[in-house]
Amino acid sequence: MSELIFQEFAAGYSPGVMAVSGVSMRITGGSVTAVIGPNGSGKSTLLKGIMSFPGIHSRGSVTLDSSPVQSMNRSERAGRIAYLPQSPPVPAGLTAIETVLLGRFPHRSAWSSDTAEDTRIALDALDMVGASHLADKFTDEISGGENRLVNLAAVLSQKTEVILLDEPGSSLDYGHAAQLWKLLSDLADRGIVILATTHRIEMSGNAFDKVLLLSEGKALAFGNPEDVFLSKDLLSRVYKTPMKVRQSSPGSSWIVFPGSSE
Amino acid sequence: MKRTLISLVVLAVTGIALSLATGPLGLNAPGQVILFLRLPRILLAIAAGASLAVSGCILQAVLRNPLATPYTLGISAGAGVTAGFIILSGISLPIFLVYLSGTAGALAASTLTWFIAGRSQRDHSGLILAGVTVNLLGASVLLLIEYMSPASRLVEIIRWMMGDLAIAGYRRVLFLLPFLVAGMVPAIMRTGTLNQFLTGTEMAESRGVNTVRERLLLLIAAAVLAGGAVGAVGPIGFVGLIVPHTMRRLVGGDYRRLLPLSALGGAVLMLWADIFSRVVISPAELPIGVILSLLGGPFFLYLLVKKPRL
Repeated sequence: MSELIFQEFAAGYSPGVMAVSGVSMRITGGSVTAVIGPNGSGKSTLLKGIMSFPGIHSRGSVTLDSSPVQSMNRSERAGRIAYLPQSPPVPAGLTAIETVLLGRFPHRSAWSSDTAEDTRIALDALDMVGASHLADKFTDEISGGENRLVNLAAVLSQKTEVILLDEPGSSLDYGHAAQLWKLLSDLADRGIVILATTHRIEMSGNAFDKVLLLSEGKALAFGNPEDVFLSKDLLSRVYKTPMKVRQSSPGSSWIVFPGSSE
Repeated sequence: MKRTLISLVVLAVTGIALSLATGPLGLNAPGQVILFLRLPRILLAIAAGASLAVSGCILQAVLRNPLATPYTLGISAGAGVTAGFIILSGISLPIFLVYLSGTAGALAASTLTWFIAGRSQRDHSGLILAGVTVNLLGASVLLLIEYMSPASRLVEIIRWMMGDLAIAGYRRVLFLLPFLVAGMVPAIMRTGTLNQFLTGTEMAESRGVNTVRERLLLLIAAAVLAGGAVGAVGPIGFVGLIVPHTMRRLVGGDYRRLLPLSALGGAVLMLWADIFSRVVISPAELPIGVILSLLGGPFFLYLLVKKPRL
């Protein structure tokens, strides 16, 4: 089972200023980790830092099964870690299935055509996100939420050990959001390491097993949801508004919402 | 896809045949005329049309901007200024060097556009506005060149600016060849990479594309294609706009199909525009640039209004 280990990891847009720092954690396949925190707390930068995107500087280390992620070359990384950005542009003139097939790129040469195997994997991925019916539709003719599912399928078709997702549930309705988190949970069960940022904890049901809480660019807490959520006043301090946390029964969905004491 | 390919091949073949037969005396013209005037002209039209169309095709993917073309980004204007200078100076440079200076001008102009657009807006309308600025700059420098030119050179410059396919012999075609190959080969080898740019640099990067290096290489390929073509036939606009967008409608946006078919489509458009330019006010010739601008202007407007794919 894959394992992603962070040691004093920090990332930012210039070498001197780290937008997020102090991330030390160990996340393993089989679990979904949610990264939460207010706007600008460094959630997206953390994921971009792991990906070592151009223009992003990082310190500390991330290792995937003892190989340092920052020193992997692009194609090695693309074979092992997939990434879903917050709002990737909608590709022009491509159908949903063609868009999903773009995820097979790391597994073939730059100009070869899609094999039957690629197509099968892409169709499976579309099926997993419940978007098989969109396969032959043009991506510029379907909704934002539907495009989200298509992009998610593209990420799945990359067949990696680690999947990083930036706000995967944004622009999804209740049903699709529930389906998404269930899917992430299922993927984790197959041994894939899932790290996803989210603003909407209540939309993710009880899908995640670990929570990393960021505040003002610092990793404030990492642990089981109950430890982070029920830690006295922690969420209220971070979000600068009184926060309520509910769980109807152990193991059920977390409900986190703003509100003063009753 | 198959139907489009067959139609284009048919149009190309009939275009070539018709073009060989078009001109004073038609097919009764002496063999020399057909072999050394009409045939090289056809080859020049094909090479320049393919180059301009593919250049636009590349720019639209890499910059993720539907209105990006050699023309709208000021690349043609850059090539025009250097070519104008050469004509003005009256130095008789080898044709190859004229093309090469066209490419240098194209590269300089695209660099200028890139920097004016600034980091944050390169993906959006800022880039096109910067291109318009560079275009205007280029146009005013060209005006200055025209003003300073003696009458004989002035005619030459203006004629070239309207697009000029009239050649004798194969030298111009031959010297355009290295530009065609240098631009086309890396582009065709990167059609899969071009596809990756469609979903943005982050997704491309996450799938193993070195976006900084590949973008630079592809922009250079686009500038080499446009620079060579503009040096050879003049700053003909809109081929890079009309062809890729039409092809995208017909065969979709997958660059593994789109790019080669745009090359073919560009060649066909140039070929037929050239035939038209020779028959419409026959025996005189209408400059091909005029025809393509008449076609391209409304098309550009249509794209602006219609919100095209990409």
